[in-house]
Amino acid sequence: MRDQWTDQLSDYVDEELADAERRALDAHLTGCVSCRVLLEELRRVRANARVLPDQAPDRDLWPGIARAIAPGRSARRALAFSVPQLLAAGVALILVSGGAAWIAARRPIQARATAGPAGAPTWGSSPVWRSEAPYAAAIAQLEAALDEGRKSGTLDSATVLALVHSLATIDTAILDARHALAADPASAYLNHHLADTMRRKLDLLRQATAIATPRT
Amino acid sequence: MQPFGWVTYPSQRMIESAPGVGVATERGDRAAADAETADVALAASGDGRAFERLYRVHVGRIHSLARRMAGPEVADDLTQDVFVRAWHKLGTFRGEAAFGSWLYRLAVNLILAQRQTRNAEPVRYDAGAALETAQAGAVEPELALDFEEAIGRLPDGARQVFVLHDLAGYKHEEIAALLGIVPGTSKSQLHHARMALRGYLDR
Repeated sequence: MRDQWTDQLSDYVDEELADAERRALDAHLTGCVSCRVLLEELRRVRANARVLPDQAPDRDLWPGIARAIAPGRSARRALAFSVPQLLAAGVALILVSGGAAWIAARRPIQARATAGPAGAPTWGSSPVWRSEAPYAAAIAQLEAALDEGRKSGTLDSATVLALVHSLATIDTAILDARHALAADPASAYLNHHLADTMRRKLDLLRQATAIATPRT
Repeated sequence: MQPFGWVTYPSQRMIESAPGVGVATERGDRAAADAETADVALAASGDGRAFERLYRVHVGRIHSLARRMAGPEVADDLTQDVFVRAWHKLGTFRGEAAFGSWLYRLAVNLILAQRQTRNAEPVRYDAGAALETAQAGAVEPELALDFEEAIGRLPDGARQVFVLHDLAGYKHEEIAALLGIVPGTSKSQLHHARMALRGYLDR
């Protein structure tokens, strides 16, 4: 049964006919019993489809899936997405605070002297190294671990690229803070900023290394 | 035996298809959706148990899709592939749609892609294919195919369009883009599939 009317019935059921076509078909349906019966059947087919129950597989497929995503096999997935996202978030925070440091470093000395409590140095006569010292050893250790992962192929190239780029950005922020401190060694804010940037770098490296380690 | 850390929550389809639910049920659904959101985040961070919970909730819907789109003989393999792919792509899930919708869409894409590589013979989307095949393979009444089985007897092109449109709710434009056809062909295939399935109502 194929004619100009029946071929339009599914579109009619789905309300996808143009107004003129729908009106013409409405008029035809008024006088055509077979088309009305067919229309009702098509509606029931669509209704049946919508309530068909989903059915779980006869056997449990999870063991096979679990094997396929087991640690080791999944390490690349986690690294490919988590590390860049993690680093990007951390870098964004550092850039925001780095901007504040840049502004602070360029304020007139007098203005800065009146901003803090007497503008007194917080960490003594070598503020730069005192700010970095608590983190330097751990950072060096984690950088070595990640470098090892890079050389051994544990880290995929996309992750390595993101890692290198993010660490370079953080290192630039650290350099900026050092330069700012060279101009104003007594600034408590800049000392805090440098220490905070170092701490963030340490945190990021720790998390990146933790993710790089196969999970159980 | 339920795995350690098992929590029960309804599937997204159940949540979406529960009109007129009471306040208590809505709260329960919201809690379920929150639990699922938490499991998605946990799974994305590498928590296999959270991902197993997601699997338990959605496996029926994905397996049914695979069975109807590609046939029962490959449904298990396809379902496993879908979940493994989902695990690897969880980092790209942005939460803009429900996880169930994201997973379903991923499954459709994977099933169609694998079907193209599995079958050497191209799928027929010409207008007469559905009716010809359905009529040629018409079953005797005593075989008593039910509606579900009759869907499986449709030719590939008509079956895919029918499943995507009438079961999965895709629009013709979306189906056309997925299958590489024009919307008019999708409409035509749907009509022929429905015509062929009329005989299996009430079974």
